Amino acid sequence: MRNAIEALSRGLAVLVAVLGVAGCGDAPPAERSDERTIVFKHFRLFGDPAPFAALLREFEARHPGIRVRAETLPAASDEQHQFYVINLRGGSRDFDVLALDVIWVAEFARAGWIADVTGLLPDNEALFAASLEAVTYEGRHYAVPWFVDAGLLYYRKDLLELHGFSAPRTWSELAEAARTIAAREPGVHGFVWQGRQYEGLVCNALEMIWSAGGEVLDGERVVLESPETLRALEFLQSLVAQGVSPAIVTTATEEPSRHVFGSGRAVFLRNWPYAWTLFERPDSPIRGKVGVAPLPHFEGHESASALGGWNLGINARSRHPDEAAAFVRFMTSPDAQRTLSLAYGYNPSLRALYADPELLAAQPHLTALRDALDAARSRPVTPRYAQLSQVLQSEFSAVVTGLKRPAGALADAQREIERIMAEP
Amino acid sequence: MRRVLERLGERPAAFLAPAAIVLGVVTFFPIVYVLWLSLARYSLLGDEPSFVGLDNFVRLASDARFWNALGNTLYFTLVSVVLEIAIGLAFALLLARPFVGRAAMRAVVLLPWAIPTVVAARMWEWMYNGDFGVINYLLGTGINWLGDPVWAMHAAIAMDVWKETPFVALLLLAGRLSISPDLYQAARLDGAGPWRAFRHITWPLLRPLLLIVLIFRTIGAFRVFDAIYVLTGGGPANTTETLSIYAYKVLFQALELGYGSAIAVAVFVLVATITAAYVRLLKEAAR
Repeated sequence: MRNAIEALSRGLAVLVAVLGVAGCGDAPPAERSDERTIVFKHFRLFGDPAPFAALLREFEARHPGIRVRAETLPAASDEQHQFYVINLRGGSRDFDVLALDVIWVAEFARAGWIADVTGLLPDNEALFAASLEAVTYEGRHYAVPWFVDAGLLYYRKDLLELHGFSAPRTWSELAEAARTIAAREPGVHGFVWQGRQYEGLVCNALEMIWSAGGEVLDGERVVLESPETLRALEFLQSLVAQGVSPAIVTTATEEPSRHVFGSGRAVFLRNWPYAWTLFERPDSPIRGKVGVAPLPHFEGHESASALGGWNLGINARSRHPDEAAAFVRFMTSPDAQRTLSLAYGYNPSLRALYADPELLAAQPHLTALRDALDAARSRPVTPRYAQLSQVLQSEFSAVVTGLKRPAGALADAQREIERIMAEP
Repeated sequence: MRRVLERLGERPAAFLAPAAIVLGVVTFFPIVYVLWLSLARYSLLGDEPSFVGLDNFVRLASDARFWNALGNTLYFTLVSVVLEIAIGLAFALLLARPFVGRAAMRAVVLLPWAIPTVVAARMWEWMYNGDFGVINYLLGTGINWLGDPVWAMHAAIAMDVWKETPFVALLLLAGRLSISPDLYQAARLDGAGPWRAFRHITWPLLRPLLLIVLIFRTIGAFRVFDAIYVLTGGGPANTTETLSIYAYKVLFQALELGYGSAIAVAVFVLVATITAAYVRLLKEAAR
């Protein structure tokens, strides 16, 4: 009996300890009165951690009394979103500065979770227009652009030259070159892109829709169903049917499609800028044979890329808003962006850096990327973007797999998005 | 001390309390909370929850995506469970027979079940790859398994059957081995062939266990999430979106806690109904 009591009390002690620890999560770490610690939540930077750490130490040296603790988030974007939502909704003050995907800013701003940082933004002209749009909600700015991304067209210079084509400027030029070369070169596909039902498909399809003059939202109004959008979706559906793209694009995400092109088995690839460095690695079979250009457009319209990338925001409940602001200013400064770009290959958000000799020498594709970024568009900036994207993902997927006729999918998407936007 | 002990001995409730409190906190409270949420409009994006009665369920009834997900779930459950039981039973009967290397074989059969689902699904995703996947290579086909609306669901079912059949085989093997060999010997003496022995000995004696396996597998298949989510993400065009994937997307991506909870409650009611039906069958079988 005594043993049983002992076991029980020990069990209770453990339970109390566990609950106690869980309850202590919110307690601020001990600080000296003259020293303030800010916590920076960010996605993991791939590569040598030293340059990033050195940057944080430099900030601390320049701002005596402020210490920075950098904490990484889970790898998957969905999980990062979940982490932020759960913690910010719970009023957490455990972190001060946060890295935000471009499509989350409006959502978090509406919820009142991130602070107005309008004063921290550089001159509007210093940024890409789409990047500025993505951090703007109801006329105010809620995050500072940090890194940017945009869809690019990669092509095989050698194959185009061999078969007498030049880099395509319109979608029909691309289709013709892709079809012809794929027919003449055994084992080589035409145009590969990302057609699996996921966020990447929304980017791919919107790029086509924009480059035909279509759009999803005009303010709060849903303007998706239009002759322009229909034209783009009909072209999208015809890609597989007409032999421009292989059927495998309907399951492809970024990496499988990069793999096909990177092993020399495709003429054209739509992908993000990260692929460039990988194609130019010494062991790459297509090293030196790859050209990069802004995405094609339909006749009479202009090229458009989907904007991706990351912004820095400040937790609205931060205990140290001034220190957090100083840190955001530092991390988005030209010097910090140059350092991070050289070390990790991320593309700076400041336009001026695309003419920086040191950066250009390391990453010559920045010139093409700047053109693409100037023509980039942000995905619909609305707090309901996540819901909207789910509708677009399934309807676009129905189009690329041939399950629905483009007109039908478009009508369904229009109706569903109208319902979402009309919710209170 | 002795008196304290005696007093405690008279109060079993005091001993049960910690367990009851933990259960209440981690099980009972969340269930009640989800039920309440399903009657509310509640988005995590800043608004406070507001009670809307049965609105969410009315919306559910006319939601084409819900019915699509329900259809997908039922189809997936029916086909995968039937195949798993049939193949699992065959494996169990084979593994019950004496042959050289039987112990090793029993271990090998269990392997797929021991691999974490997400890892297995990633593996199958590469095997199904339409461009360089090993399945097309072996079959000499060029099928776009996961990108084709007809093939995608069946590809997911095939993976689930591969993954879950060992579990069925193992339980049925245990059941088969608990049947006394004397019965088979007696049957043989009476001149019964293998089919009659199966029909009149193995089958009736395995039936209660078979029903339990059916309950486990049906509930497991009905709630399928990770295998399909990794393979296709619910695509193409929602043709592999099951109820769990739909609920996940509404709850954790769109953050509509009210409507998402209504979907979860619907899943709960369906699973409870199926289980109740099986339990009745089980009682009849036991009689």
